[in-house]
Amino acid sequence: MPGAGETAPGDAELIRAHVAGDPDAFAELVRRHRDRLWAVAVRTVGDREEAADALQDALLNAHRNAARFRGDSAVTTWLHRIVVNACLDRLRRRQAHPTVPLPDGSRGDDRPSAPEPAAPAADHDTALVVREALAALPAEQRAAIVLVDVQGYPVSEAAVILGVAEGTIKSRCARGRARMAVALGFLRGEGNRAAGGHVPSGSGSVTPLPAGHDRRDQR
Amino acid sequence: MTGAGFDGVDLDLLADYIGGALIGTPDDERIGALVAEDPVWREAYQRLAPGMATVGATLRDLPVEPMPGDLAARLDSLFVPAPVAVPDSSVTDSDAVGESSNSVPAKVVDLAEAQRERAAGARPRRRVRWVAPISVAAGVVIVAGFGLSQLAGDDATDSGASESTAGGAVPMIAMAPEIMQSGFDYDATTLSSPPATIGGSRTAQSAEASAHNDGLSAPDSGLSRLLDPGLLADCLEAITRENAGGELSVSSVDYASYTGVPALIVRFTAVNGGWAWAVGADCGTPGGDADALQKVPVR
Repeated sequence: MPGAGETAPGDAELIRAHVAGDPDAFAELVRRHRDRLWAVAVRTVGDREEAADALQDALLNAHRNAARFRGDSAVTTWLHRIVVNACLDRLRRRQAHPTVPLPDGSRGDDRPSAPEPAAPAADHDTALVVREALAALPAEQRAAIVLVDVQGYPVSEAAVILGVAEGTIKSRCARGRARMAVALGFLRGEGNRAAGGHVPSGSGSVTPLPAGHDRRDQR
Repeated sequence: MTGAGFDGVDLDLLADYIGGALIGTPDDERIGALVAEDPVWREAYQRLAPGMATVGATLRDLPVEPMPGDLAARLDSLFVPAPVAVPDSSVTDSDAVGESSNSVPAKVVDLAEAQRERAAGARPRRRVRWVAPISVAAGVVIVAGFGLSQLAGDDATDSGASESTAGGAVPMIAMAPEIMQSGFDYDATTLSSPPATIGGSRTAQSAEASAHNDGLSAPDSGLSRLLDPGLLADCLEAITRENAGGELSVSSVDYASYTGVPALIVRFTAVNGGWAWAVGADCGTPGGDADALQKVPVR
C-alpha cells in the first residue's frame, strides 16, 4: 500500500499486481468495491444469504480469473458483470427448484408472469413494498432496474455489465417499471398500495403527452 | 403484459415507448400514432407514464442496505493473505518423516503451486516439497499437509524440509489427510459411515501402486485426471465454493465410486460442519462445478 504522498494504485494496476502475485492487491480491490457490489447483489437476488453467497462466489471467480481481464472495460464494470451473472445463475437455479418462501416475504421462484399486487400498504413501509415488487419482477428486468434505477449506472454501462444492447436495457427497465407501477398502484387515478396511499414525490405527474414523440431516454 | 384495465393495449410495448426503447425502430412511430389518436392507448399512456416515473423516483430513493459485518469479515478472511509459515530450522528430516496419524504427512504437495504451474502450461512438479498449510485461491481451500506421498519421485527432501509444520511452527493442522484408492462402491450409508476395512486399503494400494509412475496408479474409472495435484486442487476449490462454508479442512480423499459411478470421496470439515461428498470425474473442470453426486453430513 502506498505511503504518505504516494498515489493509490488504480483498479487496473491492482488487477495487474494481483496477477503478478501481489498477495494484497485483490483484497484492496475488494475493499474498494464490495459495498456497491453487495448493494447490487442483494437487490438482484432479493435474499441476503443468497446474495452473500453469490457475492462470495463471484469474487472468488474474479480472483481466480483475473488474468483473463483484458482491460476492455473498467475493472468495476467487469466485477459487476461477474457479480450480476452469479446472482442470475442463482435465480435461475432457484427457478429450476422452486419454491420456498423467502425471509423477506418475496416468492422463492422467479416466474416471469405478471406481478401480483404488493402486500397491503398498511402493513409495510414504502421501501419494503417497493422491494417486494422489485423482487417479483423477472430476473432480467430486475437486474437492469437494479443497475440503472437503484444504483444509478448509465444505461450504456448496464448494457456492458449485462452483455446486452442498450435498447435491451431500456426495454427491460421500462417494462419492469410498468409492472411495478401496476403492482404498486402507481397508475394515475388509482390509489397506490405503497405506504397507505402515499405517492412518493417524483416526476410522475409531469410527463407530457406526446404530440409526436420526443426522445425519452432514461439517461 | 396486459391487465389493470388496459384491455386492448400492449403494456410492454407502451412501456417500451415511454422508456425510449423503441427509438429508431418502426414501432416508435406506430405506438406514437396510437397514443396520439387512439383514446384507449391515450388513456393508458396518461395513466402509465406518470406511474413509471414515480416508480423510477421511488427506486432511486430506496435506502442503501449496508453490507453485513459478518460478510465483510468473511471476504476479508478470503482475500487477505494468510500468515506465512516460518521455517523452523530445529525440525529435522527425521522428525518430519516420522509421521504418525496425528502429524503432518512426511511428503506433501503444494496444490496451489501445482495449480499455478498448470495454468502456466507446465507439468506439475514431481519433486516433493514441504509446505505449511496450503492455501489455494488465497486461502479458500486450506489443505493441511495434503499427504500425496504417492506423487513423490524422490524421498530426499529439498531444503524446504525445514518448512514442515510437524515441528509445530504453525499449529494449524488438526489431522493428516488420508489418500486412498479403495475402489469401494459407496452408497449413501457407507458414504456417511464407511466400513472400517476401507481405511486399510491405502497401505495396500500404496504398496501396489509403488510400481507405477509416482506411486499411485491411475484409476481405471476415469478419475485419473484428479491425480494431477493442480486438478485435484481445482476440484477441492469447486467443493469449497459449492459448500459455501468457508475454509475447507480435508481429512481424506478416496478414489472410488458411488453407486457404480466413478467418484472421488472427499471428507472434510468446514464452518458448516463435517461432510462426506462423492464427486464425479468432472469435479473442478473449467467453468464447471464440483460435479457432486452425493453430499452427506458426518458427525
